[in-house]
Amino acid sequence: MNADRGNDAASPLERVIGFVLRAGVMLSSVCLTVGLVLALTSGEVGIAGILLHAGIIVLLATPVARVVVSIVQYTSQRDWAFAALTTIVLIELMASAAVALVFNKRL
Amino acid sequence: MPAVTATLALVIFAAGAVSGSLGALLGLGGGVFLVPFLNLVLGFPFTVAAAISLTTVIATSSSVSAGRAGQQLINMKLGMLLEVATAAGSFLGGITAQLIAQSILQKLFGFVAALVALIMLTRLRRRNVILDPSVDPGVLGGRFYERESGGMVAYRVKRLPVAIAASFVAGNVSSLLGIGGGIIKVPVLNAWCGVPLRAAAATSAFMIGVTATAGATIYYGRGQLEPALAAAAVLGVQFGSWGGMRFGAAASAKWLKVLMAGLLFILSAMMFMRGGR
Repeated sequence: MNADRGNDAASPLERVIGFVLRAGVMLSSVCLTVGLVLALTSGEVGIAGILLHAGIIVLLATPVARVVVSIVQYTSQRDWAFAALTTIVLIELMASAAVALVFNKRL
Repeated sequence: MPAVTATLALVIFAAGAVSGSLGALLGLGGGVFLVPFLNLVLGFPFTVAAAISLTTVIATSSSVSAGRAGQQLINMKLGMLLEVATAAGSFLGGITAQLIAQSILQKLFGFVAALVALIMLTRLRRRNVILDPSVDPGVLGGRFYERESGGMVAYRVKRLPVAIAASFVAGNVSSLLGIGGGIIKVPVLNAWCGVPLRAAAATSAFMIGVTATAGATIYYGRGQLEPALAAAAVLGVQFGSWGGMRFGAAASAKWLKVLMAGLLFILSAMMFMRGGR
């Protein structure tokens, strides 16, 4: 049983995390590339601004999504200790977002 | 906030590419080079430079870890346990950075850069591996395929409180200074906590995405992150780290490290001089 712990227990989680990270990087890179090119070439701020902010938000959301899928995976494996630890990490990330909203004054 | 022009975006893309390739060659995030460039050369406020750098840290972490997931080199359990400490440190650092003066941040950066250079010159290379993969690595240990040993190797995690404390400090320094913080965690995990270097580096790279997100979100909410400039830096770093990894195999690691340590000492001195004014 111990010999399997490294392989079998970790694999589904590693696979889903790999997928989430890859999807996040690709989506944010596309938004940022198109947004930057539009902002620099057309000087048109509307759609370019939306794409750039979307790219940044997807970038920031990718590690959060990775934490969320970890919580789901550990909970479904009934690994309560790690489900609790990853939940604390999520709460800490939410706290940063809450502070960011409170601090939200443009310089 | 600096105005976005095509020239500025190109300069930042190029700076990102250089930082990214140096980072990939040395196994660092590259923020340690990008922040001084943005702050000292382009004259951005320190917090604006740190915010841009943190977004590149997130992108690097996500893309590197996506490529490595499934190879068992990332110790996810250890990483997620230590993230509790790095995210807390990073959260507090993000708030602290808003409250303290730029000159203090610059001096702190100078100190950390000098420390990084010293660590690089005296890098401990303990292997920590147990060649018998059937050994029980415990809940937090791991096993992975190691080319040097030609097979699966195992390791156990020791002195967990030391790893947790180092992670908290790394998280704090990360969001204060806009770097990943791996430079603090990796040597500690390797030298004192029984984690082999490659596993420590992969686990740290996995963690810094969450660490940097806690800090970057605060800068973003404060309006200190200019998305267009962050986009140029992120795309530059990704391009550079892709190139750095290809070129990395050919370069002599030893001379590269000496060169980088020298560069870091110069950066450190520049930050001290600027911060002292």
